[in-house]
Amino acid sequence: MPEGLDAISLSPLLYKFIHITFYGFTESMNALECFRGHKDAILRLWTEAVYAAYPMETTDFPQTLNDPFGNPAGDMTREAALAVYNAVAGEDVTVENIKNALERFVRLRAVQKGTPGRSMGVFYLMKPILRERMLPRLTAMGEVDAYLAAESRLDSLTLLAFDMYMEARETVAESRIKEIRNQYAQLARWARALKARTPAAG
Amino acid sequence: MAKLPAPQMLIASRPDFPDQRWLDVKPEFTPGTFCYPAKKDTMEILHMPNPHEWDPAADDWGLPENWEKILCDAFADRLEKHRSLKLFMDICVRCGACADKCHFFLGTNDPKNMPVLRAELLRSLYRRDHTMLGKLLGRKAGARKWDKNVVKELFYYAYQCTECRRCSLFCPYGIDTAEITMIVRELLHEVGLGIHWIMDPVKNCSFTGNHLGIQPHSFVEIVEMLADDCETITGIRPKTPFNKKNAEILFITPSGDVFADPGIYTFMGYLMLFHELDLDYTLSTYASEGGNFGSFTTFNMAKKLNAKMYAEAERLNVKWLLGGECGHMWRVLNQYMDTYNGPTPANMIPPVSPVTGTVFHNAASTKMVHIAEFTADLIYHNKLKLDPGRNDHIITTFHDSCNPSRGMGLLDEPRYVLKAVCNNFIEMPENTIREQTFCCGAGSGLNTEEIMELRMRAGMPRGNALRYVQQKFGVNHMACICAIDRATLPPLANYWAPGVTVSGLHELVANALVMKGETKRTMDLRQEDLPGADGDEPADAPAARGEGE
Repeated sequence: MPEGLDAISLSPLLYKFIHITFYGFTESMNALECFRGHKDAILRLWTEAVYAAYPMETTDFPQTLNDPFGNPAGDMTREAALAVYNAVAGEDVTVENIKNALERFVRLRAVQKGTPGRSMGVFYLMKPILRERMLPRLTAMGEVDAYLAAESRLDSLTLLAFDMYMEARETVAESRIKEIRNQYAQLARWARALKARTPAAG
Repeated sequence: MAKLPAPQMLIASRPDFPDQRWLDVKPEFTPGTFCYPAKKDTMEILHMPNPHEWDPAADDWGLPENWEKILCDAFADRLEKHRSLKLFMDICVRCGACADKCHFFLGTNDPKNMPVLRAELLRSLYRRDHTMLGKLLGRKAGARKWDKNVVKELFYYAYQCTECRRCSLFCPYGIDTAEITMIVRELLHEVGLGIHWIMDPVKNCSFTGNHLGIQPHSFVEIVEMLADDCETITGIRPKTPFNKKNAEILFITPSGDVFADPGIYTFMGYLMLFHELDLDYTLSTYASEGGNFGSFTTFNMAKKLNAKMYAEAERLNVKWLLGGECGHMWRVLNQYMDTYNGPTPANMIPPVSPVTGTVFHNAASTKMVHIAEFTADLIYHNKLKLDPGRNDHIITTFHDSCNPSRGMGLLDEPRYVLKAVCNNFIEMPENTIREQTFCCGAGSGLNTEEIMELRMRAGMPRGNALRYVQQKFGVNHMACICAIDRATLPPLANYWAPGVTVSGLHELVANALVMKGETKRTMDLRQEDLPGADGDEPADAPAARGEGE
């Protein structure tokens, strides 16, 4: 083997060869396309990791039914997974669209049992999956920067989700106060009216 | 050198799960997961057994010394008394049809919120003492013994069931898990364990007739205030007859509609409708509560609190009862009232609408008619002049409250009324409405603020369906026929589908109702500007339909 052509330096070439042969990728193949190629597998792995954080006996349930109303938690997780992955991969997405896609999932996590870290840390469950599935490939393609940018986008998404989480928690807190007020609204109004028409003492 | 754990270690996936069997995993009583306990004074004054101070978050719940005997005896007594309970304990084959039908399970993914396992908490105790296999084989036959942690577990999960009966709908044997929950709560009350949010209204109802314990004169004055509001809106002050002897009809509704927002607008709707019909009816300061939190306590307490309806019907010498929009009140009426408090007083007759002449044969026994049936009949016979255009700013959906829908089959009447008073009506998805309706997540006395986050996750399936029609069809309103719903759905909607308002059915009826001699409406019942009211259209707009057409 000529000097310098060891296995590591050959790997990008081999990688391109394999992908052009088996997946039909061309010279224009880039990190985004690579992400697209592994989308289904990574989405599946991440949703499984999220479900695995539920109690043992019910881990399988969210995967069984695709009905968005019969299995809403599963549907919310799948919707969030797709939005997260598209954003991480570098697809053309807007913050508004992502927030909309994440909202149900984040709101569910915000009222399910668990610390804030545990609730929002689920997004980081994608990192080991990305590192296993994408990092070697992108490294081989010479796209390490693209990989690091994707991880950074995951960090941004988690921060965005954390803001939404806090908003949801504040809504819950406000609801408590508002509900107490509403329960006695007419009684308080009556008491005020009574006080107003009671002659001053003395 | 110490190192921080990786995120996935913090999230504690599979390896950190307890390795015990599900029955051995005990719940954690963290704030937000349990309701505040009933006060000792409250339990004492109600003559509830073994009243004591206790804290669900504490290790020791201060159970009476012979707690196990009390519970075993009480359980045996209930098995003897309710053949249905014995059947429900024996018959389950664990097919799992109910497992994913519970809104608490869908929101929490906690296995013990599957109705089958929630019932199994009691069934396992049943096996030990009441089945031969359980006595001989113990745990191998799914039996277990009572201990204090089991009591805690029963409490935790009996108050994570809203007795909505969605699971029963899917059970091939018709096991009513709600009744199992009712029995568990009844057993817990035997050792002095109850919750404040239920027992306080029970106490108030016992002494003053309504949940907040409002005295008769105050009750009347608050209703008068609401009548004043009606006058502000329509120029007509509706009558507010109280304790009128020999009236034809006694009207009973949950007191939440008198005290709580947004229920009051529904109550104003009743006043306006009855005034327009010149109905010979009366309200009562004694039977000033349709709701019955006794039904979340014990059967005997439910019976006691419900007795005031017929007692007042007899005292006032009315012919029949008309009931307002309420949930569990109707389950009690439809399912238990006959045996609790029947037969009806001799002065009562099968209900006949004085406006249409319709005989409500379905209420021949209890002599009590649901207002949605009453109003649907009025509309069917063209007796109301309605301008549904006044509700045109609303795109509404309808939430079937669990008890009227599954408990008494009241599915089409409210829809019929709603479609007559609103031009824009959208159904939520098929498997979330009618008999399959999802609970608001806070029925059966769980509509208390300290478990708000639990309510938000239990109500998630309902909120999710609402969000769907909001996003897809622009729905901005949800009507319902339950006072607890009117209290619990606004925060739920605000959480899962912000921007959707909630009201009772008769708020919308009164918005659309064209009353004789009314001033031009410029605001709705909430005294908010009526869109389009600035135009030159008279109150009797061409869009109005019904009487006079």
